[in-house]
Amino acid sequence: MPDRLTGALRGNVDVAGLGALLVVLLAVYSHYDSEVFTPASITILSAQFLPLILAAMGQSTVMLAGGIDLSLGSVLALAMAVFAVRAEDGVVLAAVLALLAAAATGAANGVLVAYAGLPPIIVTLAASFLWGGVTLVVLPQPGGSVPSGLVKAYNNGWNGIALPALAIVLVLVLWKVVRTTRFGLSLYAVGGNEHGAYASGIATRKVKISAYALAGVFIGLAGIGLAVQTGSGDATIGAPYTLNSIAASVLAGVSFFGGVGQMRATVLAALLIGLLTNLLLFTGLSPFYQLIMQGAVLIVAIAVKTFATRERTD
Amino acid sequence: MIGRFTRAIVAVTALGTLTATAACGVDSGDGGSSGGTGKSKALKVGWSTIYLTPSWMQQTDKMIKDDVAKLKKDGKVADYQVFNANGDTSQQIAQIRAMIQQKYDVILVDAGSSTALNPALEQAANAGITVVNFDSLVTSEKVVRVGTDQTEWGRMMGQWLGETLGGKGKIIAFNGPAGVAVSEQRWKGAEEALKKFPGIKVVSNVHSEYNLAPAAQAFASAYSANPDIDGVFSQGGALSAAALQTLVKQKKKLVPITGENYNGFLKLWQQNKDAGFSSLSTAQPNYLGVIALRAAVAKAGGATVPNQITVPLPKITNENLSEYVKPDQPDDSYPIQELPQSEIDKLIGK
Repeated sequence: MPDRLTGALRGNVDVAGLGALLVVLLAVYSHYDSEVFTPASITILSAQFLPLILAAMGQSTVMLAGGIDLSLGSVLALAMAVFAVRAEDGVVLAAVLALLAAAATGAANGVLVAYAGLPPIIVTLAASFLWGGVTLVVLPQPGGSVPSGLVKAYNNGWNGIALPALAIVLVLVLWKVVRTTRFGLSLYAVGGNEHGAYASGIATRKVKISAYALAGVFIGLAGIGLAVQTGSGDATIGAPYTLNSIAASVLAGVSFFGGVGQMRATVLAALLIGLLTNLLLFTGLSPFYQLIMQGAVLIVAIAVKTFATRERTD
Repeated sequence: MIGRFTRAIVAVTALGTLTATAACGVDSGDGGSSGGTGKSKALKVGWSTIYLTPSWMQQTDKMIKDDVAKLKKDGKVADYQVFNANGDTSQQIAQIRAMIQQKYDVILVDAGSSTALNPALEQAANAGITVVNFDSLVTSEKVVRVGTDQTEWGRMMGQWLGETLGGKGKIIAFNGPAGVAVSEQRWKGAEEALKKFPGIKVVSNVHSEYNLAPAAQAFASAYSANPDIDGVFSQGGALSAAALQTLVKQKKKLVPITGENYNGFLKLWQQNKDAGFSSLSTAQPNYLGVIALRAAVAKAGGATVPNQITVPLPKITNENLSEYVKPDQPDDSYPIQELPQSEIDKLIGK
């Protein structure tokens, strides 16, 4: 292989690998759903996957800073509840409130991690109970409502445009911009080597807090997406997103130790997990075997990824 | 070099796994798509449930499967598939969308959220699919819903407890998980009924999963804080069993506890009946699933089916307890007599 090509591949090994897996998966998928590449299907699928993609981006942001967020599901449900409760009186205000709430919870996690020096796993685990309780206060039982026009536009497309897909592109562009700022560079530096970053004059605490707050924004967006998708709020719906977002991030090659990983890969990985679960529904396997398959494929994929990246440090 | 070799092997394994997934599907996919064509086409039926593992769901699954076998013999159902969302509502939405894409004729749903599935279910209904929801219900009025009246459940229990206690005393309220619609509705009904008995005081309101082990822990701590209670409003069988077990184990006064047709509770009740324990229990009958299936088949065949089918709540009392309790069956089962076909027909408006 020409050196330049291997070089490019090596730099993007996660993206390339996941892309290849995605192509295989899509090929199999189109066997069951021949309309998968039509605009209508793309709209439906992106509507379905958007919350997980955004949640995974939030989790990846925290992991890049060397942390982990176990409160993600609770915060997602909180943002969803806030949005669903207020959406009738104005969608924009409701969205702002939901995002503020989610960013604030993230910042609170960040402060505890950065200043109190508490381990992220403990802080966010405790926070998951805290915000789970607050969510129940905001929305004691499933309800709230999102204007039906918005729900239709989101789920069925708006003038032929897949709004969720557009949202994913916009958020990726946003990340690209953030990534090139001083904060973006510091995020990787702090995640990779906190002491080194501190020694070279980076305000590591500020960076950490900002990272958790930015993750909160992604998680808030995921909550809003879920509220618009379902047309309602439900305090109990967020929990599975915590583990799924971690699975997507790990599959994407974001390191548990921080500093390594690409957001493009996270988006692909979340997409992959979503498509895979859908595909297993199509295959008509017994429900219990579907779970086994899902777990097995995840482990194999993560193992491949681990072996593939191990070479870099050889 | 060795590293690269290992990587190659792992990559091949990964692809193999994926191909295997594909291969499994190729068979069943082709088998399913060639449905029968005739005057009254045999239906492709799918059941999407939020959980499949609890024993109530297992029993429901078995009951539906038995009925599907009958309907297959009559040529009314061609294909039946179960989807388990494993507690993940987003996954359940994906299942419903997948069933729409796969052109199912009938979708049965046991919902994980009373609101979140509405858009997906309405989309299915708009696509001409017969959607019937049972047990855990959604709020959408565009699908056929088969259930019991949960508020009435709470009201009935609250009323009985109030009367049994002679209108005064302290009680513990033992509810299901916070934020779950069924639990909130049952408690709402109970509160309504208890309002009529101003002498009754709720000293503690405990939430727990409908599951014996966590319920026992939750009840034990509430009870140790309030050992002088006169009764328990409990809204689920495992919860009631946990409460009664605590009293029996600690050799305390056996106060009245409301319950459900959970065999473990019914057995304990029978064992302690002579010691003065009394209860009123009801049931979320497993045959709800069968009624839903029958309603769906009737509707898909062109019959008019009421949009809301409310199945009456059975009453298990001190007098008829022995007809329900099954001493030879496991605690974790839900004994209930099957509903005769004539009753089912009446409910679905035949």
